[in-house]
Amino acid sequence: MSSGFAGGIIMKLLSRQGNHWLSSLPDWQRFALALLACAGTTLIATPLLAYLDLANIVMLFLLTVLLVAVSLGLAPALLAAFASVAMFDFFFVPPRFSFEVHNAQYLVTFVVMLAVAIITGQLTAGLRRQADDSDTEAQRSRALYEMARELSGVLMVEQVAEITRNFLRRVLNADAIILLPDSNGRLLPCSGQDVARLQIEPRLAIMAFDGGAPVECPQLANSGYAVLYLPMRSPMRVRGVIAVAPIDALAEPLLDERERLETMASLAAIAVERIHYVDVAQHTQVQVVSERLRSSILSAISHDLRTPLTALVGLADSLTLSKPALSEIAQETAGAIRDQAERLAGLVGNLLDMARLHAGDINLQKEWQPIEEVIGASIKLLGRGLAEHPVKVTLASDLPLVEFDAVLIERVFCNLLENSAKYSPPNTSIGIDVQARDGRLEVAVTDSGQGFASQGGKDKALFEMFVRGEAESARPGVGLGLAICSAIIEAHAGTIAASNRPQGGACVSFTLPLGEPPLIEEEVLPLADERVP
Amino acid sequence: MSEHIEKRERREQRAPVVIVVEDEKLIRRFVRTSLEEEGCRVFEAGTLAEGLIEAGLQKPNLVVLDLGLPDGNGIDFIRDLRGWSDAPILVLSARTNEKDKIQALDVGADDYLTKPFGVGELRARARALLRRQSRGGEGASPVVVFGEVQVDLARRVVTRSGEPVHLTPIEYRLLCVLIANTGKVITQRHLLRDVWGPASVESNHYLRVYVGHLRQKLEKDPTQPEYILTETGVGYRFQT
Repeated sequence: MSSGFAGGIIMKLLSRQGNHWLSSLPDWQRFALALLACAGTTLIATPLLAYLDLANIVMLFLLTVLLVAVSLGLAPALLAAFASVAMFDFFFVPPRFSFEVHNAQYLVTFVVMLAVAIITGQLTAGLRRQADDSDTEAQRSRALYEMARELSGVLMVEQVAEITRNFLRRVLNADAIILLPDSNGRLLPCSGQDVARLQIEPRLAIMAFDGGAPVECPQLANSGYAVLYLPMRSPMRVRGVIAVAPIDALAEPLLDERERLETMASLAAIAVERIHYVDVAQHTQVQVVSERLRSSILSAISHDLRTPLTALVGLADSLTLSKPALSEIAQETAGAIRDQAERLAGLVGNLLDMARLHAGDINLQKEWQPIEEVIGASIKLLGRGLAEHPVKVTLASDLPLVEFDAVLIERVFCNLLENSAKYSPPNTSIGIDVQARDGRLEVAVTDSGQGFASQGGKDKALFEMFVRGEAESARPGVGLGLAICSAIIEAHAGTIAASNRPQGGACVSFTLPLGEPPLIEEEVLPLADERVP
Repeated sequence: MSEHIEKRERREQRAPVVIVVEDEKLIRRFVRTSLEEEGCRVFEAGTLAEGLIEAGLQKPNLVVLDLGLPDGNGIDFIRDLRGWSDAPILVLSARTNEKDKIQALDVGADDYLTKPFGVGELRARARALLRRQSRGGEGASPVVVFGEVQVDLARRVVTRSGEPVHLTPIEYRLLCVLIANTGKVITQRHLLRDVWGPASVESNHYLRVYVGHLRQKLEKDPTQPEYILTETGVGYRFQT
């Protein structure tokens, strides 16, 4: 209790700036000061000898030793103790001006004085060390706090790396590299860092990242490798790894500070996570805005282009049907105008479709349904366009339901059927074959035309925009049909390929993944009165 | 000659009245001429407001409506009109978005045409809707015939080329709903509600499977149906 109280006082003494410069003096000055203090005490005490007992004189020396111990440290205190004993003996203890001692009890005085010097000196030294420690502690905490404050404002991961490095260099004399996972989950140094500064052992980094716990390897310190791999744990997940290496190749002081380093890592992690979510929010907002813009532009264009085309198709069509009937030539002309306008409308439709599909995220309205329904609908939709090309649909028995966007798959069938009709001679049939195999639905659309010109249809470029099977052709088209099919099928996670059939004609086949179709509950048996006789 | 005119006048008096609500003059013009050739009396309106006034004055037998008009949303027009008129509505839509069509059908439109469309199509749709309307009042015949199939609604008997066809209760109910809406587009939601009940409006795959069954049993080529047609992304249409 009392030692705690004394300690408190001494701590207070120590914490004063004044005492600091005393204890930080060079050794010889401190020893000189100790001797001076003893000499001073002797000078003060000599005139007092007439009034004071020797016992009280000794107290003055004891005080001196105590003060020296407190202010100058253990070794000067020991010197002061010896010097005090010597001076007390020489100047005050009779016979004066000699080191002879008649009374043996002064030996006790000497021993006490030595003991006081040693105990006080050691106590002080310990307290000073503690004070120094807590000073460093406070300094480091302040640095950590400052780091947190700096991190709260950053907008880029590079800045996080920079701040983390500055903190380590200033406070722990260490260097670091921040490793962040890329989109494939590989840990890579984040950009803006000089990677050559220190070596990284990737396996340790991965261990720290996967395990979410710090990994240390002090043996690496001398080889310029990072010795400590700290996972950057944020509330959501591990965001990366900070690889720390001591600049002076001493691993211990670093490893002693593991807790603080972990705090630092989580501060950095929170900053990285915050940046990540800011990015996500910004990205989403930009996307929403551009999505809205895009769809409003597309629907405006769609409306503005389709309206005159509708008038054109309708007016020309009504000419061909007008009564009394026009002359044959005029009828033919009107019919041609109608057909061309319809084709133009089809082209506009394809261009707009492509713009929608190419704009990125296609919003699929997937539903479980039989494929034959959409086949029938496409054939019906093309109507007159397939007049000279009967379509033969062959379905494998027991085809499962497939999940797809009916409107888009209908576009695929329409485009493929239209192509087939366009590139095969009149009065030849078009085939659609469907079967389920290896977890996929396989659909092949075949015709009896001359097939694909380039590379027997194996050319992947066929599915690119504005690429046509034959470069210059009398047949109308701009080469969007297959590109649209390919975009739609890819959005459904399927594949599409073209080939020439051995017996002649082209074949475009695509697949759709089969999933687990929902169950259809069997209907209860028909009641007698509802059953048809 | 005068005989001729007389005949025409007589016809015009009984002629069905059609209102065309469309802002593009040229489209209005050919819709008008083609419907007049069908024997209709046609009134034009360039805006929704005019359209509503005309509809109130003329008591139309059919309304042809463009969904994208400058003074408002066609959907609101349909809702308004349905408040006091049962006249069939044929929607003209420049939009490819199926949601708009479904919405229009759900609030009371009967059919739609996507622009651009031919005169033949327009006339066929208009004819079908007018026929529905004129038939609506009188007791419809209990026997419906399409292709080789004969459905006797009174006796609940379905035959194909004279041979009886076995339908399950759901298949039969589905067929009845389709027949009751001949010439109209019926949304999937509507069919599910009428056949399976209001709790099943999300079970589209049931509807598709049962429509498939019906086609198997009634159509000549189930993959290229002639009577039970698919309006992809929207619903079905039954036509005879």
